[in-house]
Amino acid sequence: MGWLFAALLIVMLLTGINYQNSLIFLLTFFLGVVFVAAMHQTHSNLSGLELTLIHAGEGYVGDSIPFLFRGSAGKHDNLALTVGVEGASQGSRLVMQHVRPESSSDMRLVVTATERGYLLLDRVRIETRFPFGLLRAWSWLRPQTTAIVYPKPLLPPVPVDHGVSGDESGIVTQAPGQDHVEIRPWRQGDLLQRVQWKRFARTGEMAIAEWHGEQGNPDWLDFASFPGVDTELRLSYLTALVLERDKSGEAFGLRLPGQDVEPDGGPAHTQRCLRVLALFGTNGRNSDREAA
Amino acid sequence: MRGTSHPSAADVDQEIPGRALIWLICAFLLLLLPQWDRLPLWLPTICVVLAGWRWLVHLGRIRLPGRWLRTGFMIAMIAVYLTTVSGRFTVDTAASFFVIAIGLKWIETRSSRDFYVLFFILVYLAAVNFLFEQGILWTLVNFTGVMFLLVGLQILNAPNAPGALRAGWRRLLSMFVKTLPIVILLFLFFPRLSPLWSVPLVSGAAKTGISDTMTPGDISNLAQSSERAFRVAFGGEVPPPQDRYWRGLVLDRLDGNTWTQSQPEPFRRLGRVMNDGGAGELGVRDYDVLMDPTGQSWAFALKGSVAASDNVRQVGEGLFLFQRPADTPVRYRLSLQGDTPAADDLQASDLRQYLQLPAGGNPRARVLAKELKVSSLDARSFIDSVLRKFRSEAYYYTLRPPQMMGDSIDQLLFDAKRGFCAHYAGATTFLLRVAGIPARIVVGYQGGEPGAGGEYLIVRQYDAHAWVEAWLPGQGWVRVDPTAAIAPSRIDGGLREAVAEEGSFLENSWGSPQRYSDIPLVQWASLQLDRMNYQWQRWVVGYQGQTQMDLLSRLPGQWGLKELGYFSAGLVAFGVLVGAVVSALRQRARFRQDPVARLVGQWRQAARRSGVDIQEGDTPLQIAERVAVVSPAAAGPARTFARALYNHYYVATEQEAGQAGRNDLDRLRRLLKTARKQMKVVRPSARKT
Repeated sequence: MGWLFAALLIVMLLTGINYQNSLIFLLTFFLGVVFVAAMHQTHSNLSGLELTLIHAGEGYVGDSIPFLFRGSAGKHDNLALTVGVEGASQGSRLVMQHVRPESSSDMRLVVTATERGYLLLDRVRIETRFPFGLLRAWSWLRPQTTAIVYPKPLLPPVPVDHGVSGDESGIVTQAPGQDHVEIRPWRQGDLLQRVQWKRFARTGEMAIAEWHGEQGNPDWLDFASFPGVDTELRLSYLTALVLERDKSGEAFGLRLPGQDVEPDGGPAHTQRCLRVLALFGTNGRNSDREAA
Repeated sequence: MRGTSHPSAADVDQEIPGRALIWLICAFLLLLLPQWDRLPLWLPTICVVLAGWRWLVHLGRIRLPGRWLRTGFMIAMIAVYLTTVSGRFTVDTAASFFVIAIGLKWIETRSSRDFYVLFFILVYLAAVNFLFEQGILWTLVNFTGVMFLLVGLQILNAPNAPGALRAGWRRLLSMFVKTLPIVILLFLFFPRLSPLWSVPLVSGAAKTGISDTMTPGDISNLAQSSERAFRVAFGGEVPPPQDRYWRGLVLDRLDGNTWTQSQPEPFRRLGRVMNDGGAGELGVRDYDVLMDPTGQSWAFALKGSVAASDNVRQVGEGLFLFQRPADTPVRYRLSLQGDTPAADDLQASDLRQYLQLPAGGNPRARVLAKELKVSSLDARSFIDSVLRKFRSEAYYYTLRPPQMMGDSIDQLLFDAKRGFCAHYAGATTFLLRVAGIPARIVVGYQGGEPGAGGEYLIVRQYDAHAWVEAWLPGQGWVRVDPTAAIAPSRIDGGLREAVAEEGSFLENSWGSPQRYSDIPLVQWASLQLDRMNYQWQRWVVGYQGQTQMDLLSRLPGQWGLKELGYFSAGLVAFGVLVGAVVSALRQRARFRQDPVARLVGQWRQAARRSGVDIQEGDTPLQIAERVAVVSPAAAGPARTFARALYNHYYVATEQEAGQAGRNDLDRLRRLLKTARKQMKVVRPSARKT
């Protein structure tokens, strides 16, 4: 817009010269000087602002992840600020906010997550075009706080057996922390992977091993129970299952290669599991950054 | 400002807030006002309707027209426009088209991008307005319109800011006041280059004023107008009323009832705009004429003048012409040199020209002339006897002459005996020519009343006048004014006194302040306004090349266009510099409060110098990582310094500031020193990689 405006001023100047019109000169000079003054206005409209990322949200891949910024103004107004993220990979929606002198106001920047793990905003660009929209002043912010993106929940197409390793020995594997096992006949509604297939081969009767412990009826969600499936997809399945368990209020544990989450229930547990799923396999550098 | 393709902040496709739109519409209506009487009525009316339509759309009453309807509108308006323009291309017609385009833009204004388009074209409309109207009131209207636009932009850019309107006006006015000195200096010193090309400004539309043909009755139409024709300021004494004959052009060919120029002005290439007559001190004999646009190229001058400014030039018959039709107010300067010595004699071709008469017609007048000639000794006494006849017999000077068809001179002299100056001038010339005395009609103005303060004379359209010049051997061209014989008060006191009994003065111009000039307050107000406009026109509108040079020649040193260019460029640079210095000082003040920030700056600079690519917005740790990439050896100190920075800013609480802060600073300085030393060591290798 600024270039267009400059072009307009030049055309006006030519008109003024050609028709020896002093008033067009006057108008051109006035607008030109206002243009220069607007540079300072626009700049000072941004200066003195302190922008902090105060909260990074969490969400699933494909979701919009909110980042909450807080802008605190110095001595003058910081009007019509917009916050955006650079780069096409992190499509961002823009917000417009005014910060009055000596006060602060919060701005929500929403970013669409494309992959699980830590979501670090690349470069956040805060800019303003106030007052006339002809010029832009901007500044960069590289927030170090990351959002966490969980895998996109996908229900597994068919329930997959997850007790394989336990059944091979013919003995029902005892999960740690469980006291004893009770064998009961299969009934409608039991997951197929809980059927003791070895026992079925021997006796021809479908039976279910039910563990009784302090946590009642724990259920292990295991990374290994989707053989041949891509890691990301497994994580998606597990995420869906975690959410399902969370909904039904069942206690469950999560078993990932090299990382177990003890069976438990409640929102805090669910979130912990989701985080583990989100961060599975991500290198430590990201978490380092988070610490910084 | 930078043309990068970042996600632009203000979403350009957002809906236009109504509070911004209303200012835009108001600005448009305001900027349309100066165009109102220039354009055919349908055009501004449709523009207002279209803008109103856009407002109703905003209110949700109706929708914007669809594509077909819009195209239909466009074609219809352009078709009507083309029929009214009929192939002439001037700035006038181009400006009309521009207004049409703005009108059509309203019904496709959806996003804020369109808002900017409208902003730009409306700003240009303000400039276009100045081409046609330059009075002080119109200037105020135009500038107010531009202010409205700027307020609208501010609201567009911060639609929901609290108190946006008041803050916007305050911001704008403070900007205006702060920048005014620079604007004034630029206005004074920006080099007024000569025009680059010439396009006629107006399409020869009929303007009030005298024309180059005269049939009896023409000038009495003019007498109904109190529009200003021109203003004159004299360097010396103002000539008395009976000498204020402003010669415009000469009509010397009678064709039926119509007087025309026998030698129409030769067609010349259209000159460039030159409407400035300089501002040097007026000599005792000089006078300055500030003429309102006539659309014609003749200038008005007293007898015996020579050109003193270079935008008029003298042609034959003691007349003056401009380089191009006066489509804007023109100021020119003439100098009274007294009567030029009489030429020896008229040449044969001139004689033929000034004795030309139609073969037949007006038999009674011809007889009268021959009778008078017999009883006269010479040309002078013939003229006296004609004038005596007018004075002694019952001839009347009137604005309501009867219709005279056929032999109009006969009818005037013998039947009606009532007429206006054009009638009597025509009849007198006819009589003189029949008697063999070379004669011609001069058309122009006679009179002029003093403006407020008596600085200048105002000559109005109702001062338009026609008189006769006769060639007397040994004396040259001599003015003969039959009107002075019939109604001496017309010459001494102006038209108002001359037709006072009749009561026909400006009888159709109800709105003219001159009509009510017997009311002192009206007279006073009208003259004061005129004076204000005169000064405005003289010093602001008329501030052009010659005036600029005249003014600057009073300053020490040599001022040419080149020097002015340098000066203006320097002025702009100076203005920008002052702004930059103010910002820099503010920035410095901030640094002074925070010595650590200065350390960070030094560090960044040192890193950049040793070949580390640092982007804006990089944090200290990121910089340290970048340093580590370029020179692993320097990574350690860099990281330490970055961590220390974080500690300084984010860990230390306010209680720990003070003495502890002092130590902190010293420690950071030491760390920075190490970090820089390390970077220096690796510098050569950094260059190689």
